[in-house]
Amino acid sequence: MISIADVEHVYREGRDAHTALRGVSVEVAAGQFLALLGPSGCGKTTLLRCIAGLAEPERGTIRIGDETVFSASEHVSVPARLRDIGMVFQSYAIWPHMSVAENAAFPLRYRCPELKAAEIRERTADVLRLVHLDELADRPAPALSGGQQQRLALARALIAQPKVLLLDEPLSNLDARLREEMRFELRALTKRLGVTTILVTHGQAEALSLADVVAVMNDGEFVQISTPHELYDRPHTEFVARFVGRANLVPAQVLAAGVEPSPRHVTVSTPYGNVECVSEIARSAGDRATLAVPPEAFVLRPAGGAGEDGATGTVEGVAFLGDATEVVVRVADAALITKLPAADAPAVGSRVTAVIASRNCMLLN
Amino acid sequence: MILSLLVILVVQSLSAPGNYASVFTPAVGKIMLNSVELAAIATAVGFFFALPIAWLVERTRMRGKAFVVSVMLISMLVPGFAAAMGWLFLLHPQIGLINQLSAAIFGPAHPVLNVATVTGMGIIMGFQLAPVAFLMISAALRSLDYRMEEAASIAGAPGAGAIRRIVLPLIRPALAQAAIYVFIIAFGTFDVPAIIGWGNRIFTFSTYVYLTTNPQAGLPDYGRAGALSVSVLSVALLLTVWTRYLSLDAKRFAVVSGKGYATTLLALGRWTVPAYAFIAAYLLLGIIAPLLVVLWESFLPFVQAPSAAALHLAGGANYHAIFGDAFWSSLGNSALLMLVVPPVVLAFSFAFSWIGFRTQLRGRALLDGIAFLPHAIPSVIMAVGVIVLALYGLSHVLPVYGTIWIIVLAYSITWVSYGTRMTNSGLLQLHRELEESAAVGGATTWAIVRVIVLPLMSRTLLLAWVYLVILSGRELTLSVLLTTPGNMTVPSFVWITWLNGGLTRGAAATVCYLACLSPLLIAYSYLLNRTRTTGTAALGSAV
Repeated sequence: MISIADVEHVYREGRDAHTALRGVSVEVAAGQFLALLGPSGCGKTTLLRCIAGLAEPERGTIRIGDETVFSASEHVSVPARLRDIGMVFQSYAIWPHMSVAENAAFPLRYRCPELKAAEIRERTADVLRLVHLDELADRPAPALSGGQQQRLALARALIAQPKVLLLDEPLSNLDARLREEMRFELRALTKRLGVTTILVTHGQAEALSLADVVAVMNDGEFVQISTPHELYDRPHTEFVARFVGRANLVPAQVLAAGVEPSPRHVTVSTPYGNVECVSEIARSAGDRATLAVPPEAFVLRPAGGAGEDGATGTVEGVAFLGDATEVVVRVADAALITKLPAADAPAVGSRVTAVIASRNCMLLN
Repeated sequence: MILSLLVILVVQSLSAPGNYASVFTPAVGKIMLNSVELAAIATAVGFFFALPIAWLVERTRMRGKAFVVSVMLISMLVPGFAAAMGWLFLLHPQIGLINQLSAAIFGPAHPVLNVATVTGMGIIMGFQLAPVAFLMISAALRSLDYRMEEAASIAGAPGAGAIRRIVLPLIRPALAQAAIYVFIIAFGTFDVPAIIGWGNRIFTFSTYVYLTTNPQAGLPDYGRAGALSVSVLSVALLLTVWTRYLSLDAKRFAVVSGKGYATTLLALGRWTVPAYAFIAAYLLLGIIAPLLVVLWESFLPFVQAPSAAALHLAGGANYHAIFGDAFWSSLGNSALLMLVVPPVVLAFSFAFSWIGFRTQLRGRALLDGIAFLPHAIPSVIMAVGVIVLALYGLSHVLPVYGTIWIIVLAYSITWVSYGTRMTNSGLLQLHRELEESAAVGGATTWAIVRVIVLPLMSRTLLLAWVYLVILSGRELTLSVLLTTPGNMTVPSFVWITWLNGGLTRGAAATVCYLACLSPLLIAYSYLLNRTRTTGTAALGSAV
């Protein structure tokens, strides 16, 4: 549905130039939900703006459906208003001088000029019902709360039934509870309508819970494009492991490469005991590599107990999260982030031994 | 347009070899010294009033701030010649009311106070420029991070020390910019030197240029006026380049940002009464006293102090004399200016702002610089430039000289720079995504401007519109130089009446004129109070 090939974008301000996209390529299938995930300044919003036609790449090709909307080599650049898209902006960009219904109907009026007034009214009512704003249609737009404005922005993006929906950090301005509610609603709505969706976000929970496919970006490039599960369990690089899973990076040495038919299961030795883990590439005994250990893969025992592999350290901090407890343990010069069931938390200052108790860690390439 | 004006000015000034030689003479040197002294005193007096009042409004818990702000803005728009006349009536060495009074008591030895000096004119001009300085200083104070003040007081510096050590150094670049801006206006303004200095043979740059282009005998000498203008212009441009450099320099002070305006305001305590007294003194000296005197004298056949005998002489004779054809035609001309100039200026200003902020057009920085140029050019020079352009550049294409359209042209060129500042600040307040979402919604650029941008900027535009209407009605400096009998405006009618018809008749003309202007001033202050925050911000950026 959307095909992006070798897109490069450079911001120029006077003599300064900053390359925001370094030749990125990605394909999004029809009806798929793609999340662009990355820290601020990684180029994800720039890519979204290039797809929307609000920014112009220096190089590359962008296709939506069968239409080439941008091609540097063929000198094609379709303006935003003629691309088959709807977009929700980070600030929502609700026009304060119009009513709720006028805001929602705007794209119909300009994208479908052949529609009659009655049809416009009908479709506006439909789309407002879809986002539960039908009661408020005649209100002035500034009278809406943050969550309602967000839903109005969504209604406006969907009303002309575009093939592609672009979402620029749509949930970041909402409070925590509303954000979780909208997360489910947004996923359900896009799937029901079958619209191809691209979401820009810097929140890993948002990306993992909403998307079919997550593309992690850093410094203008894709680092990894996978399904949410794979991204969490099988990060390819340190950056993804840290950014997505908040994983601990632990030095490891290969003891034994696994036997066929699964060469990818290897056993490594780490300061926290010997671990069976997964590797993307073939390894041989003696190789050194970094092991990504998610917080929940650790087990903490009181120091000085029986049967001792593992490393001993001091509990530096305990944060109660409701459903779990996060414990920071200082071992030599490393600070381990571990996540335990809420009841098992040790006291701050106590000595504990940390052991890796999972077979699901990833040996990074 | 602006560039061609400058070029033709330089060409014209070089047209006769004697032009520059005739400019660099002791007599002209004296006039230039006068102007510099006048402008320096005016700047000092303006700051003397503006700095404390701005600080009171922005930094203390004084009551009635909205009132103070609108009074300052309105006094900026009261024409300068009105107050100048009032002060002349009060402090003229011979006929001034106060001096007559003192002569009656102490004998006719010396006038106690003589306004007809360079110092006197400087002080009066300072009263008039205080509001301009006030707006610029307020803007600077507002953008200052209040935490600096708090940090200083926590660190133990007493209030005055905090102001001196912390606040002043931080806003020094802004103050320097404001000072130079005020200085340039004072240097080139016509009204005060014309009303007070002219009759007493004290000339400044502006009145001298008027004299060379409107000589009492002989032909206008545009080459000479041009040479004079080019010489002054080079200095003014240097000063302005320097202020722009200062504003670049100001970026080093990271705290001067728009953020964090949740200022903790100072309680005035026992300083409340002195503070109000200070503001009242300014209003009394700057506006109320002189205007009342003008009103009184307008009913008299010649200047005299209020007394029973004078009351017998009072009558409407001056007003009868004024309401002739010349007055009505000048009223018509001014009305035309007030109707035509604002939309022209706003259309250009909006276009400039739009190109500057919303397009990637090459050379848009240059465009912004050019639109800024008239800020650096004293009005007198703009006027001379427009005359020369009309006479020698456009005479075949657009024969505007001697018509009202030359004044339309001059006002529009000059004020596009004011208008652009205002539309800039209006456009900057609009989040860009408001327009982008309309583009994604299928609207063309023209539709976005029409349906989204203009309606959202309507308050800024309305305020700017009324401001320009008032400016068009009150501008004397530009119009007096461009005036010929066929295209007289009300302010130049007042000036001509003053010059030829006697002082009290001039006063009567001023009163009529203020009566015409005041409904607009009231409308303007009403608008301003409704849109106070955005309004003053826009104006602050305009001046």
